[in-house]
Amino acid sequence: MSRLLKHESILAILTVLALAILAMQSDKFFTTDNLLNQGRLMSEVGLVALAMTFVIVTGGIDLSVGSILGLTAILLGVFWKNVGLPLPVAIGLAVACGSLAGFVNGLIITRFRVPPLIATLATLALYRGLAEGISEARSVRGYPEWFFFLGQGDILGIPVQLCLLVIAAITAGVILARTPFGRATYAIGANETAAHFSGIRVNATKLWIYTAAGFLASIAAVIFVSRVTTTRSDMGTGLELDVITGVVLGGTSIFGGKGTIIGTALGLILIQALKNGLSLSGVKGDGTIVVIGVVLIVAILASAIFDRNKGG
Amino acid sequence: MTDVVMSSRGLQRSSLRRFVGNYGQELVVLLTIVLLFVVVGSYNPRFLSETNMNSIFSGNAYIAVAAIGMSLVIISGHIDVSVGSMIGVIATMAGTLAVSGYPVWVAWLVPVVFSVVVNASVGALVAYMRIPSIVVTLGMLSVLKGGLISATGGAWITDMPPAFMISQWRIFGIGTPVYFMVVLTLLAALYMRFSGFGRSIYAVGGNMEAARAAGLNPERTVVGVFALHGLFAGLAGLLFATQLQVIQSTVPPNLELTVITASVIGGVSILGGTGTVIGSTFAAILFATIGSALIFLNVSAYWLRSVLGLMILATVLVDMIRRRRST
Amino acid sequence: MPNQVQHANAAIALAGISKSFTGLKVLSDVSFDLRAGEVHALLGENGAGKSTLIKIMSGLHQPDEGMIKVAGHAVTFTTPRAAHHHGIATVHQELLLFPELTVAENVFLGQAPRTSIGSIDWATMRRRARELLDSLDSFDLDIDIRVAALSVANRQRVEIARALAQDAKVVIMDEPTAALAEADVQKLMGIVRSLKARGVGIIYVSHKLPEIFALADRVTVLRDGQHVGTKDIAEVTEASLVSMMVGRPLDRLYPKKIGESGEVALELRNISYRNVVRDVSFALRRGEILGIAGLVGSGRTETALTIFGITPKTSGEIFLDGKPVEIGSPEAARDLGIAYVPEDRGQQGLVKSQSIAENIALANLKRVSSGWFVDAAKVLAEAKAAITRFGVKARGPEQVVRELSGGNQQKVVLGKWLAATPKILIVDEPTRGIDVGAKAEIHLLLRKLAGEGMAILMISSELPEVLGMSDRVLVMNGGRIISTFAEGEVTAEAVGHAMTHTAQVAA
Repeated sequence: MSRLLKHESILAILTVLALAILAMQSDKFFTTDNLLNQGRLMSEVGLVALAMTFVIVTGGIDLSVGSILGLTAILLGVFWKNVGLPLPVAIGLAVACGSLAGFVNGLIITRFRVPPLIATLATLALYRGLAEGISEARSVRGYPEWFFFLGQGDILGIPVQLCLLVIAAITAGVILARTPFGRATYAIGANETAAHFSGIRVNATKLWIYTAAGFLASIAAVIFVSRVTTTRSDMGTGLELDVITGVVLGGTSIFGGKGTIIGTALGLILIQALKNGLSLSGVKGDGTIVVIGVVLIVAILASAIFDRNKGG
Repeated sequence: MTDVVMSSRGLQRSSLRRFVGNYGQELVVLLTIVLLFVVVGSYNPRFLSETNMNSIFSGNAYIAVAAIGMSLVIISGHIDVSVGSMIGVIATMAGTLAVSGYPVWVAWLVPVVFSVVVNASVGALVAYMRIPSIVVTLGMLSVLKGGLISATGGAWITDMPPAFMISQWRIFGIGTPVYFMVVLTLLAALYMRFSGFGRSIYAVGGNMEAARAAGLNPERTVVGVFALHGLFAGLAGLLFATQLQVIQSTVPPNLELTVITASVIGGVSILGGTGTVIGSTFAAILFATIGSALIFLNVSAYWLRSVLGLMILATVLVDMIRRRRST
Repeated sequence: MPNQVQHANAAIALAGISKSFTGLKVLSDVSFDLRAGEVHALLGENGAGKSTLIKIMSGLHQPDEGMIKVAGHAVTFTTPRAAHHHGIATVHQELLLFPELTVAENVFLGQAPRTSIGSIDWATMRRRARELLDSLDSFDLDIDIRVAALSVANRQRVEIARALAQDAKVVIMDEPTAALAEADVQKLMGIVRSLKARGVGIIYVSHKLPEIFALADRVTVLRDGQHVGTKDIAEVTEASLVSMMVGRPLDRLYPKKIGESGEVALELRNISYRNVVRDVSFALRRGEILGIAGLVGSGRTETALTIFGITPKTSGEIFLDGKPVEIGSPEAARDLGIAYVPEDRGQQGLVKSQSIAENIALANLKRVSSGWFVDAAKVLAEAKAAITRFGVKARGPEQVVRELSGGNQQKVVLGKWLAATPKILIVDEPTRGIDVGAKAEIHLLLRKLAGEGMAILMISSELPEVLGMSDRVLVMNGGRIISTFAEGEVTAEAVGHAMTHTAQVAA
């Protein structure tokens, strides 16, 4: 336990530091409005990052989450507008499809033993391609007002998706840290063979995890559509970068076996704070991508150095 | 007795059977290209016109060139998902230098050197710090992409000097990119077959510990591979830059995926240790052909990415099944 | 220990070699020498130090003390490359080849012939590879084929050819016939003889006494990391070798049986798995320890893995307490009360980066959970209980398993499985790589468990362990049971003879 907390403590200190610096730099930062808005903006990445934590802890990776988001968004539009289903049904069906996409990832990885890297690289193309092909780059608009509550509304002053994120994070955190499923996840990442030999259902666990990634990506899609009031086939492009950076920054080892939801949460907050700070200083969206990329490389470098010092 | 049966698998076979066994994947790709030409050509003869042929071969040669470097990286057991962004950066860099009055050779040389240095650094991080290449190159992808758009604001570069425009020249009626593609592929193939370093790439990718035990230096090999990859990406970037009269200063969509897929379909196994650059060149031509075929068959071009994804999946699944059976 | 081993014409000579790993002394003051053109057998049970000695000779480890001399000159090998330079080549038990490359290339990897312009001379490489393989009587082996497609016997020939290509003066063969069929064993012995005729010195590590008597000029026996003796082959008999290997009074180390065997807990009838487990049938009773002896590759572990559900049976029936069962996965086996303490402790038995408590809870997660959550208090309590019960020397349940010694790690594995309260315990090489003290503790534990009614299946390659611990013994070879010894019939001569004779059963 103590080893884990060391990384999280450093991270927590860094986060507080970053927030303090940003607060000093711009008086627009530390307002309730801004903070809540940032919370709203990071919810989509946050939800997916919860599942991605499990994925990376098992030693795998999922590059297709952004594509699943895009595909779900498109399917939502198609089911509602083209097929004419009632919106709630369309939403449910779209989420089911997104989860199925995650399940297919898991199947390719467990049943066919394809390395997660290449499997999800292929499905990244496939799912995005399906999204492009189905939508033919046309966007869908005109959703009913009530739908926008999810992405733009508040409950007791707190953005809806932020509430959702917090509940999901607590659930995920408890599952990972306190349940047999969580213990199995860690074991699989640390030594899959020993886990298998100890009677842990390795394939079933992995299937659940990849399906969850698909599920959360599709929920994120619904929230996203609700927030921007339209669906487009390029939604979620680059999502995997933000998600993986957040998870890795949060202390989850890319080699598997280590990581916590708290760490991921802190990592996400740090990144969002960074993005916010940059935009408040006038840096445009593309400059932000550069910074995130650098952060990813530095974070993984630091983790590699620290792991080695521990005699890893 | 199984052992006897298995021993007989080591028996000498005819040269032809052996050739097909070792290069089967490349042959399949070649045959598919021929098949496509025949089928689509008979459906719509304009498919076989000179303009279209030029468009297929000359217009996509840069992908094949980039795929050469990518194949080397994958054979050595790694991957680079940032190659598309790198090519975008190279192209913009070259174009900017060209229109800013620098000598043409500077506009050609500097971006390529940049690519070699950056990629060699990535290789060093991967080899010596033992960081998985997927993560480093994922980060690189953003750094390059974001950097490109931030620096240029997406502006287009036009009016480049004719002396700079490599891709526009023609020799014997065929665009120079085709010559680049053919010559570079052949050179790379020869290098991979006949040089000590080339063979060490296969060894390191096939079984790193055995390679070390055999006296090779896996770390240096990996850095070298990434440097070479940088060279090919640089050249590909130059070809890409000079294809049209304008450089769009954006990252060409799908590019890294196409390049990786070309290697994988061309017979380079994602697990490392095997594959040829000739195969990846064939595969790059195959995609160009498919892309063009979709247009001539009136299939929406929006399905291209799905096709790529399905092709990678199919090839990798077959590779996995083949490996499970032979071990 | 008198140093009778320095000869002026020794191809390689080691003197006073000692080596320790994390506090465990694996070799102590060992001397060994090999003459040119000699076949020198190296004998000893598992854990005796043979493989460490070989690794020192091939440059993979450096000795803590002692000296190595090649052809009279003192040398130090810091890398395998250095050892190659001095003409020492190894044919490994786990072959180090490149599956996707051709035979010719594997033979010459890292030392390919070059043309005048420095490029690889494939023509010469192929020609010389052909010559080398022909000199090994492998006329039918295609040099242009990918190694992945070859059988184990042929791959071994490729490694031998590789050693020859290195112009080796010393060739170390580590359990070369472990995975070979009879016909291939004969061919290999022919190869060894022809190498000998060429003046190459061969260090032949093997358990198989008939081969040793057929090929070796001298034999050296190691035991518990020490040099027991080096003799000319004419001076020894099977019996004297076995006694040199075993050496100690058996009953002091191995507690005797308590009480009678109970009913049949586990029965296998005609169990097969592909062609590695063939038609295996036996019964295991409560309260007994059934030993399965045999050489590496005889199918014992494979049988255990079939019972445990890792590689479920392809034919035959398994009965637990008289009722037929299907065991399709390790979790099914565990739920049925079967536990397997694996051969490869580090890879299969433990998650080394986790704590003792986490490891012990691993096979038992449902048990230590109340409702949906893992009960941390229960996990800790179980771990503490196990530490006390098995005498695990550790700072506490939160200590990372990687830091423990081999013996203590094995206790953790046992602790993990016993926490799942099994009825049948399969232990595979239970005391491999463990010091004598911990060995005795584990043996005592196993006997106590049997006394409490557990049915224990013990797989072991250590003859003394098999003899001392087993109530009954099965000997396996080629995936089949070839000999059975009932209680009272278990003697050193009988079992040793059965184990060390290849007695190939026709496929």
